[in-house]
Amino acid sequence: MKDKKEKFNKNEDNLEQELIELGKFYFLNQKYDQAIKEFQEALKINSNNPQIYYNLGITYEAKNMIEQASKMYRQTLELKSDHVYAKEHLDKLVGI
Amino acid sequence: MADKKQIAVIGLGTFGYNIAKVLSQKKCEVLAIDKDEERIREISNIITHAVQADATEERTLQALGIKKMDIVIVGIGTGMEASILVTLLLKEMGVKRIVAKALNSLHGKILRKVGADKIIFPERDMALRLAEGLISPNILDQIELSPYYSIVEIHAPQSFIGKTIREIDIRAKYGVTVIAIKKKQPIVTKSGETDFKEIVNISPQPEDEISEGASLVVLGKIETITKLKKD
Repeated sequence: MKDKKEKFNKNEDNLEQELIELGKFYFLNQKYDQAIKEFQEALKINSNNPQIYYNLGITYEAKNMIEQASKMYRQTLELKSDHVYAKEHLDKLVGI
Repeated sequence: MADKKQIAVIGLGTFGYNIAKVLSQKKCEVLAIDKDEERIREISNIITHAVQADATEERTLQALGIKKMDIVIVGIGTGMEASILVTLLLKEMGVKRIVAKALNSLHGKILRKVGADKIIFPERDMALRLAEGLISPNILDQIELSPYYSIVEIHAPQSFIGKTIREIDIRAKYGVTVIAIKKKQPIVTKSGETDFKEIVNISPQPEDEISEGASLVVLGKIETITKLKKD
Protein backbone atom coordinates (compact mmCIF):
# COMPACT_ATOMS: atom_id res chain seq x y z
CA MET A 1 0.00 0.00 0.00
CA LYS A 2 2.96 2.27 0.63
CA ASP A 3 3.78 2.23 -3.08
CA LYS A 4 0.31 3.33 -3.90
CA LYS A 5 0.49 6.24 -1.52
CA GLU A 6 3.83 7.38 -2.95
CA LYS A 7 2.55 7.09 -6.46
CA PHE A 8 -0.17 9.59 -5.76
CA ASN A 9 1.86 11.81 -3.52
CA LYS A 10 2.10 14.59 -6.06
CA ASN A 11 -1.59 14.69 -6.57
CA GLU A 12 -3.31 15.29 -3.26
CA ASP A 13 -6.82 15.03 -4.65
CA ASN A 14 -6.10 11.58 -5.90
CA LEU A 15 -4.37 10.56 -2.71
CA GLU A 16 -7.34 11.69 -0.66
CA GLN A 17 -9.74 9.62 -2.78
CA GLU A 18 -7.33 6.72 -2.74
CA LEU A 19 -7.16 6.76 1.06
CA ILE A 20 -10.93 6.89 1.31
CA GLU A 21 -11.27 3.94 -1.05
CA LEU A 22 -8.65 2.05 0.93
CA GLY A 23 -10.48 2.84 4.16
CA LYS A 24 -13.76 1.62 2.64
CA PHE A 25 -12.02 -1.55 1.52
CA TYR A 26 -10.84 -2.23 5.07
CA PHE A 27 -14.29 -1.34 6.43
CA LEU A 28 -15.99 -3.80 4.09
CA ASN A 29 -13.57 -6.47 5.24
CA GLN A 30 -14.37 -5.62 8.84
CA LYS A 31 -10.83 -4.37 9.51
CA TYR A 32 -12.23 -1.40 11.35
CA ASP A 33 -9.04 -0.16 13.04
CA GLN A 34 -7.17 -0.08 9.75
CA ALA A 35 -10.12 1.65 8.10
CA ILE A 36 -10.07 4.37 10.77
CA LYS A 37 -6.33 4.95 10.18
CA GLU A 38 -6.86 5.47 6.45
CA PHE A 39 -9.81 7.81 6.96
CA GLN A 40 -7.81 9.84 9.46
CA GLU A 41 -4.95 10.11 6.97
CA ALA A 42 -7.44 11.37 4.40
CA LEU A 43 -8.68 13.95 6.90
CA LYS A 44 -5.15 15.34 7.21
CA ILE A 45 -5.26 16.17 3.51
CA ASN A 46 -8.77 17.54 3.50
CA SER A 47 -10.63 18.25 6.71
CA ASN A 48 -13.68 19.58 4.87
CA ASN A 49 -14.82 16.44 3.11
CA PRO A 50 -18.12 15.16 4.59
CA GLN A 51 -17.58 11.77 2.97
CA ILE A 52 -14.59 11.10 5.22
CA TYR A 53 -16.47 12.05 8.38
CA TYR A 54 -19.40 9.86 7.38
CA ASN A 55 -17.14 6.89 6.76
CA LEU A 56 -15.41 7.42 10.09
CA GLY A 57 -18.84 7.58 11.72
CA ILE A 58 -20.02 4.34 10.20
CA THR A 59 -16.77 2.60 11.15
CA TYR A 60 -16.96 3.81 14.75
CA GLU A 61 -20.58 2.71 14.91
CA ALA A 62 -19.64 -0.70 13.56
CA LYS A 63 -17.21 -0.94 16.49
CA ASN A 64 -19.95 0.16 18.92
CA MET A 65 -18.06 3.38 19.67
CA ILE A 66 -21.27 5.31 19.80
CA GLU A 67 -20.04 8.67 21.09
CA GLN A 68 -17.32 8.98 18.48
CA ALA A 69 -19.76 7.85 15.79
CA SER A 70 -22.32 10.53 16.76
CA LYS A 71 -19.60 13.17 16.69
CA MET A 72 -18.56 12.17 13.18
CA TYR A 73 -22.14 12.12 11.88
CA ARG A 74 -22.63 15.63 13.31
CA GLN A 75 -19.48 16.82 11.53
CA THR A 76 -20.76 15.26 8.30
CA LEU A 77 -24.04 17.12 8.61
CA GLU A 78 -22.28 20.39 9.39
CA LEU A 79 -20.51 20.13 6.07
CA LYS A 80 -23.39 18.60 4.13
CA SER A 81 -26.72 19.11 5.86
CA ASP A 82 -28.63 16.87 3.40
CA HIS A 83 -26.46 13.78 3.91
CA VAL A 84 -29.29 11.27 4.21
CA TYR A 85 -27.26 8.37 5.59
CA ALA A 86 -25.51 10.46 8.26
CA LYS A 87 -28.86 11.86 9.33
CA GLU A 88 -30.47 8.42 9.55
CA HIS A 89 -27.64 7.00 11.60
CA LEU A 90 -27.44 10.00 13.91
CA ASP A 91 -31.21 9.94 14.49
CA LYS A 92 -30.98 6.30 15.41
CA LEU A 93 -28.08 6.85 17.80
CA VAL A 94 -29.63 9.86 19.47
CA GLY A 95 -32.88 7.95 19.72
CA ILE A 96 -35.26 10.11 17.69
CA MET B 1 -58.93 -8.70 3.61
CA ALA B 2 -60.15 -11.47 5.87
CA ASP B 3 -56.73 -12.36 7.27
CA LYS B 4 -55.75 -8.75 7.90
CA LYS B 5 -56.00 -7.74 11.53
CA GLN B 6 -58.57 -5.04 12.09
CA ILE B 7 -57.53 -2.56 14.74
CA ALA B 8 -59.13 0.67 15.86
CA VAL B 9 -57.18 3.46 17.52
CA ILE B 10 -59.17 6.01 19.50
CA GLY B 11 -57.38 9.26 20.29
CA LEU B 12 -54.61 10.44 18.00
CA GLY B 13 -52.10 12.13 20.26
CA THR B 14 -48.44 11.31 19.75
CA PHE B 15 -49.06 7.84 21.18
CA GLY B 16 -52.15 6.98 19.16
CA TYR B 17 -50.78 8.52 15.98
CA ASN B 18 -47.60 6.47 16.09
CA ILE B 19 -49.36 3.23 16.99
CA ALA B 20 -51.79 3.71 14.10
CA LYS B 21 -48.94 4.50 11.73
CA VAL B 22 -46.82 1.48 12.65
CA LEU B 23 -49.78 -0.92 12.61
CA SER B 24 -50.69 0.33 9.18
CA GLN B 25 -47.11 -0.17 7.97
CA LYS B 26 -47.34 -3.70 9.34
CA LYS B 27 -50.29 -4.30 7.02
CA CYS B 28 -53.09 -4.11 9.57
CA GLU B 29 -56.36 -2.52 8.65
CA VAL B 30 -56.50 0.51 10.91
CA LEU B 31 -59.46 2.68 11.83
CA ALA B 32 -58.43 5.89 13.58
CA ILE B 33 -60.88 8.04 15.50
CA ASP B 34 -60.32 11.49 16.97
CA LYS B 35 -62.37 14.58 17.72
CA ASP B 36 -59.81 16.87 16.13
CA GLU B 37 -60.25 17.44 12.41
CA GLU B 38 -56.64 18.51 11.94
CA ARG B 39 -55.27 15.25 13.36
CA ILE B 40 -57.61 13.18 11.21
CA ARG B 41 -56.46 15.05 8.12
CA GLU B 42 -52.84 14.48 9.08
CA ILE B 43 -53.20 10.74 9.39
CA SER B 44 -55.74 10.11 6.64
CA ASN B 45 -53.19 9.53 3.89
CA ILE B 46 -51.18 6.93 5.75
CA ILE B 47 -53.90 4.69 7.17
CA THR B 48 -56.96 2.87 5.86
CA HIS B 49 -59.77 4.79 7.56
CA ALA B 50 -59.67 7.97 9.60
CA VAL B 51 -62.86 9.36 11.07
CA GLN B 52 -63.53 12.57 12.93
CA ALA B 53 -65.97 11.63 15.68
CA ASP B 54 -66.64 11.77 19.39
CA ALA B 55 -65.85 8.30 20.72
CA THR B 56 -67.64 8.92 24.00
CA GLU B 57 -70.95 8.56 22.16
CA GLU B 58 -72.15 5.00 22.00
CA ARG B 59 -74.09 5.50 18.78
CA THR B 60 -71.02 6.77 17.01
CA LEU B 61 -69.00 3.76 18.04
CA GLN B 62 -71.76 1.43 16.91
CA ALA B 63 -72.10 3.17 13.56
CA LEU B 64 -68.36 2.75 12.98
CA GLY B 65 -68.59 -0.99 13.52
CA ILE B 66 -66.17 -0.99 16.45
CA LYS B 67 -67.62 -4.25 17.70
CA LYS B 68 -66.18 -6.18 14.78
CA MET B 69 -62.61 -5.02 15.39
CA ASP B 70 -60.02 -7.52 16.58
CA ILE B 71 -58.41 -5.01 18.90
CA VAL B 72 -59.36 -1.51 20.02
CA ILE B 73 -56.65 0.73 21.42
CA VAL B 74 -57.76 3.61 23.66
CA GLY B 75 -55.02 6.18 23.38
CA ILE B 76 -56.93 9.17 24.74
CA GLY B 77 -54.46 11.23 26.69
CA THR B 78 -56.23 14.49 27.40
CA GLY B 79 -58.72 13.38 30.00
CA MET B 80 -59.08 10.37 32.26
CA GLU B 81 -62.82 10.69 32.18
CA ALA B 82 -63.09 10.27 28.43
CA SER B 83 -60.68 7.36 28.39
CA ILE B 84 -62.59 5.53 31.16
CA LEU B 85 -65.95 6.20 29.53
CA VAL B 86 -64.81 4.95 26.13
CA THR B 87 -63.26 1.81 27.64
CA LEU B 88 -66.51 1.08 29.47
CA LEU B 89 -68.57 1.57 26.32
CA LEU B 90 -66.29 -0.70 24.33
CA LYS B 91 -66.55 -3.41 26.97
CA GLU B 92 -70.33 -3.18 27.05
CA MET B 93 -70.46 -3.44 23.28
CA GLY B 94 -68.51 -6.68 23.49
CA VAL B 95 -65.22 -5.67 21.86
CA LYS B 96 -62.88 -8.69 21.83
CA ARG B 97 -59.75 -7.02 23.11
CA ILE B 98 -59.30 -3.56 24.59
CA VAL B 99 -55.88 -2.05 25.16
CA ALA B 100 -55.93 1.21 27.10
CA LYS B 101 -53.31 3.79 27.92
CA ALA B 102 -53.16 4.89 31.55
CA LEU B 103 -51.87 8.22 32.75
CA ASN B 104 -51.12 6.99 36.28
CA SER B 105 -51.63 3.93 38.45
CA LEU B 106 -55.06 4.98 39.75
CA HIS B 107 -56.23 5.52 36.19
CA GLY B 108 -54.80 2.09 35.37
CA LYS B 109 -56.78 0.46 38.19
CA ILE B 110 -60.02 2.02 37.00
CA LEU B 111 -59.38 0.98 33.41
CA ARG B 112 -58.85 -2.58 34.61
CA LYS B 113 -62.13 -2.47 36.57
CA VAL B 114 -64.14 -1.20 33.63
CA GLY B 115 -62.84 -3.99 31.43
CA ALA B 116 -59.58 -3.14 29.65
CA ASP B 117 -57.73 -6.35 28.76
CA LYS B 118 -54.34 -4.72 28.74
CA ILE B 119 -53.18 -1.51 30.34
CA ILE B 120 -50.07 0.31 29.33
CA PHE B 121 -48.22 3.07 31.16
CA PRO B 122 -46.06 4.62 28.43
CA GLU B 123 -44.61 7.37 30.60
CA ARG B 124 -43.77 5.14 33.54
CA ASP B 125 -42.33 2.40 31.31
CA MET B 126 -40.29 4.85 29.31
CA ALA B 127 -38.96 6.47 32.47
CA LEU B 128 -37.82 3.10 33.83
CA ARG B 129 -36.12 2.25 30.55
CA LEU B 130 -34.45 5.62 30.33
CA ALA B 131 -33.22 5.43 33.91
CA GLU B 132 -31.77 1.98 33.29
CA GLY B 133 -30.19 3.17 30.05
CA LEU B 134 -28.60 6.19 31.68
CA ILE B 135 -27.08 4.21 34.52
CA SER B 136 -25.71 1.51 32.23
CA PRO B 137 -25.12 2.89 28.74
CA ASN B 138 -24.23 -0.58 27.49
CA ILE B 139 -27.82 -1.69 27.84
CA LEU B 140 -29.64 -1.12 24.59
CA ASP B 141 -32.99 -2.57 25.47
CA GLN B 142 -34.59 -4.47 28.28
CA ILE B 143 -37.68 -6.58 28.81
CA GLU B 144 -38.48 -7.43 32.39
CA LEU B 145 -39.86 -10.93 32.73
CA SER B 146 -40.21 -10.89 36.52
CA PRO B 147 -38.67 -8.81 39.30
CA TYR B 148 -35.61 -11.06 39.07
CA TYR B 149 -35.31 -12.08 35.43
CA SER B 150 -34.86 -9.96 32.34
CA ILE B 151 -34.11 -10.20 28.64
CA VAL B 152 -31.48 -7.60 27.91
CA GLU B 153 -29.71 -6.44 24.80
CA ILE B 154 -26.11 -5.38 25.49
CA HIS B 155 -23.06 -4.48 23.46
CA ALA B 156 -20.79 -7.51 23.42
CA PRO B 157 -18.04 -6.97 26.03
CA GLN B 158 -14.61 -6.41 24.49
CA SER B 159 -13.31 -9.63 26.02
CA PHE B 160 -15.87 -11.66 24.02
CA ILE B 161 -14.88 -10.42 20.57
CA GLY B 162 -13.56 -13.06 18.21
CA LYS B 163 -14.56 -15.92 20.50
CA THR B 164 -17.34 -18.46 20.22
CA ILE B 165 -20.11 -18.89 22.76
CA ARG B 166 -18.55 -22.19 23.78
CA GLU B 167 -15.11 -20.65 24.28
CA ILE B 168 -16.48 -17.92 26.49
CA ASP B 169 -18.63 -20.45 28.34
CA ILE B 170 -21.19 -17.76 28.94
CA ARG B 171 -23.80 -19.87 30.67
CA ALA B 172 -21.42 -21.48 33.15
CA LYS B 173 -19.46 -18.32 33.84
CA TYR B 174 -22.21 -15.73 33.94
CA GLY B 175 -25.37 -17.77 34.37
CA VAL B 176 -27.08 -16.15 31.39
CA THR B 177 -28.29 -17.61 28.12
CA VAL B 178 -27.56 -15.91 24.81
CA ILE B 179 -30.79 -16.00 22.82
CA ALA B 180 -29.59 -13.92 19.88
CA ILE B 181 -26.47 -12.35 18.43
CA LYS B 182 -26.91 -9.20 16.36
CA LYS B 183 -23.95 -8.48 14.16
CA LYS B 184 -23.23 -5.65 11.81
CA GLN B 185 -22.48 -6.59 8.23
CA PRO B 186 -20.70 -3.86 6.20
CA ILE B 187 -22.30 -3.26 2.82
CA VAL B 188 -22.19 -0.86 -0.11
CA THR B 189 -25.58 0.66 -0.88
CA LYS B 190 -27.04 1.15 -4.35
CA SER B 191 -25.86 4.76 -4.31
CA GLY B 192 -22.30 3.61 -3.59
CA GLU B 193 -22.27 4.71 0.03
CA THR B 194 -20.82 2.48 2.72
CA ASP B 195 -23.28 1.32 5.35
CA PHE B 196 -24.00 -1.76 7.40
CA LYS B 197 -26.99 -3.93 7.97
CA GLU B 198 -27.86 -5.79 11.09
CA ILE B 199 -27.97 -9.57 10.88
CA VAL B 200 -29.78 -11.30 13.71
CA ASN B 201 -28.75 -14.81 14.60
CA ILE B 202 -31.53 -16.14 16.78
CA SER B 203 -30.81 -19.07 19.08
CA PRO B 204 -27.11 -19.19 18.15
CA GLN B 205 -25.04 -22.36 18.15
CA PRO B 206 -22.17 -22.87 20.64
CA GLU B 207 -19.67 -22.55 17.81
CA ASP B 208 -21.03 -19.21 16.57
CA GLU B 209 -18.49 -16.46 16.91
CA ILE B 210 -19.09 -13.02 18.38
CA SER B 211 -17.71 -10.45 15.97
CA GLU B 212 -16.59 -6.91 16.66
CA GLY B 213 -19.46 -4.48 17.11
CA ALA B 214 -21.97 -7.25 17.86
CA SER B 215 -24.68 -7.01 20.46
CA LEU B 216 -26.03 -9.88 22.48
CA VAL B 217 -29.58 -10.51 23.59
CA VAL B 218 -29.29 -12.41 26.83
CA LEU B 219 -31.76 -13.92 29.26
CA GLY B 220 -30.92 -14.25 32.91
CA LYS B 221 -31.08 -12.95 36.45
CA ILE B 222 -30.77 -9.19 36.60
CA GLU B 223 -27.83 -9.30 39.00
CA THR B 224 -25.84 -11.70 36.83
CA ILE B 225 -26.49 -9.62 33.73
CA THR B 226 -25.10 -6.64 35.64
CA LYS B 227 -21.92 -8.64 36.17
CA LEU B 228 -21.72 -9.43 32.46
CA LYS B 229 -22.04 -5.77 31.52
CA LYS B 230 -19.03 -4.85 33.58
CA ASP B 231 -16.71 -7.34 31.87
